[in-house]
Amino acid sequence: MARARRKRGNQHAEPKQISPEQFVVEVPDDPYAEYEGREWDFAWLPEDETEVVDEGALHALVKSWRHGRATRSIGDVLSDAYIALFSVLMIGAMIVNVIIGSQASSAACDTAACLNGRLLVPWGMFFALGALTLSFARLFGPVLASAAEGFWLMEAPIGRGRILRGRLWAIIVGAAVVSAAVSAAVAAVAGEPFGVVGAWAAASGLVASGLVAWAAWEQSYGRVRPLRAVQALFTTLAAVVLTTMVAVAAGWLHVEPPAWLGQVPWFFAAVGGAASVAFGAWAHRRLEHFARGRLTSGGSLVSGLQGAMFGLDLGLARDILVDREAIERGHVRPTAGRWTGAGALVWRDLQRLARFPRPLLGLAGAILVPYASDAIGLSLLTPLLSAVALMFALVPTLGALRVLSRSTGLARMMPFSTAELRTASFVVPALLALVWGSATLPAFLGVTGGVPRDPAVAPVVAVACALGGLLAAVRWQTAKPVNFAVPMMATTAGAVPPTLVFNLVRGFDVAALVTAPILLNVSPLWSLGIAGVLLMILRVGFNMEEMQEQAKEQQKLLDAERARSGR
Amino acid sequence: MLGDMASRAPVLTATDLTKSYGPSRIVEGFSLTVSPGEAVALTGRNGAGKSTILRMLVGAVRPDEGRVEFEGLRMSETNPEIRKGMASVIDDLDFFPDLSVVEHLDLLARAHGVPDPEAIVDEVLAEVQLVPQSGQLPGTLSSGQRRRLALGTAFVRPRRLLVLDEPEQRLDVEGVAWLAARLKAERARGLAIVLASHEPYLVKEVATRIVAVHPPAGAEAVADAVADGGAA
Repeated sequence: MARARRKRGNQHAEPKQISPEQFVVEVPDDPYAEYEGREWDFAWLPEDETEVVDEGALHALVKSWRHGRATRSIGDVLSDAYIALFSVLMIGAMIVNVIIGSQASSAACDTAACLNGRLLVPWGMFFALGALTLSFARLFGPVLASAAEGFWLMEAPIGRGRILRGRLWAIIVGAAVVSAAVSAAVAAVAGEPFGVVGAWAAASGLVASGLVAWAAWEQSYGRVRPLRAVQALFTTLAAVVLTTMVAVAAGWLHVEPPAWLGQVPWFFAAVGGAASVAFGAWAHRRLEHFARGRLTSGGSLVSGLQGAMFGLDLGLARDILVDREAIERGHVRPTAGRWTGAGALVWRDLQRLARFPRPLLGLAGAILVPYASDAIGLSLLTPLLSAVALMFALVPTLGALRVLSRSTGLARMMPFSTAELRTASFVVPALLALVWGSATLPAFLGVTGGVPRDPAVAPVVAVACALGGLLAAVRWQTAKPVNFAVPMMATTAGAVPPTLVFNLVRGFDVAALVTAPILLNVSPLWSLGIAGVLLMILRVGFNMEEMQEQAKEQQKLLDAERARSGR
Repeated sequence: MLGDMASRAPVLTATDLTKSYGPSRIVEGFSLTVSPGEAVALTGRNGAGKSTILRMLVGAVRPDEGRVEFEGLRMSETNPEIRKGMASVIDDLDFFPDLSVVEHLDLLARAHGVPDPEAIVDEVLAEVQLVPQSGQLPGTLSSGQRRRLALGTAFVRPRRLLVLDEPEQRLDVEGVAWLAARLKAERARGLAIVLASHEPYLVKEVATRIVAVHPPAGAEAVADAVADGGAA
């Protein structure tokens, strides 16, 4: 202590001059010598024979531990669930109301072409849901087990079929319910009659459950290639339907749907139902053959994503998926870098795009959005929907920005300021946004039945929407994780950090802010102005702690100056 | 030669650093001055506050009280001038999931404007024994290989101060021997080094000064210097 005090007493002194002799220090030759001969206490297993384990009892034991550690009653959970459900319904009702209101007020979809185009919406959703279902099934298993189950139960000499069969059927049924609900909601919003809504709900639900059952059966053999192939097929069909819908609604393509087309959803439903039963039964019979590694890999992914979602940290959830994909790929052919300084970062972004061109497919999809939105009569919302679609398309191209923002270690190794680093990371996505703006210009001129705009105004709207999408993606990738160390806000669901709520709407807030003047029919130049301000803020980041520290430092200097001048 | 280096202006000056997490005081009144050609090793038990001190030294954690300066500039981890001169390998180093091992080194060398970056990258890659893994993505590296890549990122770029937190972690015996030799050579070329380590061989070979950091005694963390050759 005395030594510490003496040290603090010298803290403002000039550094000492050190002679080379003082560099020689004594370190013991054998640091473990002092532990030699020490008595350690070790724990050993008893010598008795181990007992035969019943898997049901073991599972029940784990369950009772977990339930025994519950901190909330079922009443608390139901109360929170009621509030959450009520909020979701309220927000959902508001969104549906906005969509229906905009449809009614625009009254743009009253031509035969537009109405025929609209008929294709449930088709597009059907194929998109199929692709999504397979994507999730491949990602998570679809049958999965937690790391704890993998370690504690599957290592034990028990049959894993009894543990897995319940969840196999739960996943198959769950896929059917979710897909049917989404499909029904989209078909209803697109203005389809009740019978058609029911047919598409049945088709999407049963095909999704069939796909999940098939994926589970493939999982038992450890195969993923057939799933990838069928997923690619569904994705292609969804894109074809979306393009056709735009072309039909714009009047570029004339299609008279045959009467039998209305029966196709029932055919899909029958095939999907049969597949779910057949593949579900085969997968059930093969549950003992499911590889533990594949089961727990899906489980750990789920628990990682759960952790991220508890913090409403969608960025972290995406990081987990990106890391997993990179691990699956494992190896790439290294390519030479080019340019120096911040240009080196830009070059690597270009190489990333050449190496992993999938984001370009997203960009192509985002280009179709304003056309499709106009085609189905949502013209008033087109700028916002377009900016949000572009945001989703650009998020994968801002991977470098994400890594440089989420932790400071790598950024600290780069010889640039935050603004320089971020600007370098924007370059390639900004070029893509420019391409998007040029490709969507005809939509903003109103060629697909949207709001007709002056040729001098439409490019400004296109640029504003492109900037809105770009800045929203930047905001999405650079938002800080929720800080649970700050003072909390009291809510009915308990104490909540203020940033938790904003985390969920990050990106969407910027898209809404930039496109608001266009939605409100004010001059789009306002949108450019707002985008300019946001660009300046997002470019330098917003580090409140550092700003406060700098202000304190300035205040100290000012006080010292005042003291010197005797004021 | 070392005497000449030590007489130069200090590279890093930390004055009376104090840090608490909640009610626990982790570090109190820690001061340190490091000159070119000096290697300061922080030693001490787990939880003594070594990593917190290093994080304050590189600007990753803001001290509650006290001040850190790098070559006279107030420490800020976003200051590009400081970033140009200070290389750090502490626990927050992240990697791009979609760039390979060699591409990380190449990117850093080019970002710092190193002339003939490919040559230095090849040399460092061979030195850290990651040539067979040059095309691997970081997520697939073993923990020891990740540590070697992290160390490699510090050696492909210009630096006047190197801050390392337990750099020997996950390295095999040969790796520790290489690291000790490398850091000794760096120090001889005038680099200032601050490292926290539990590896006696590394400390003995590299350190010109050892600062023993003690775990908090009561409410206070006390740091004092053993073989004090310049720590204030």
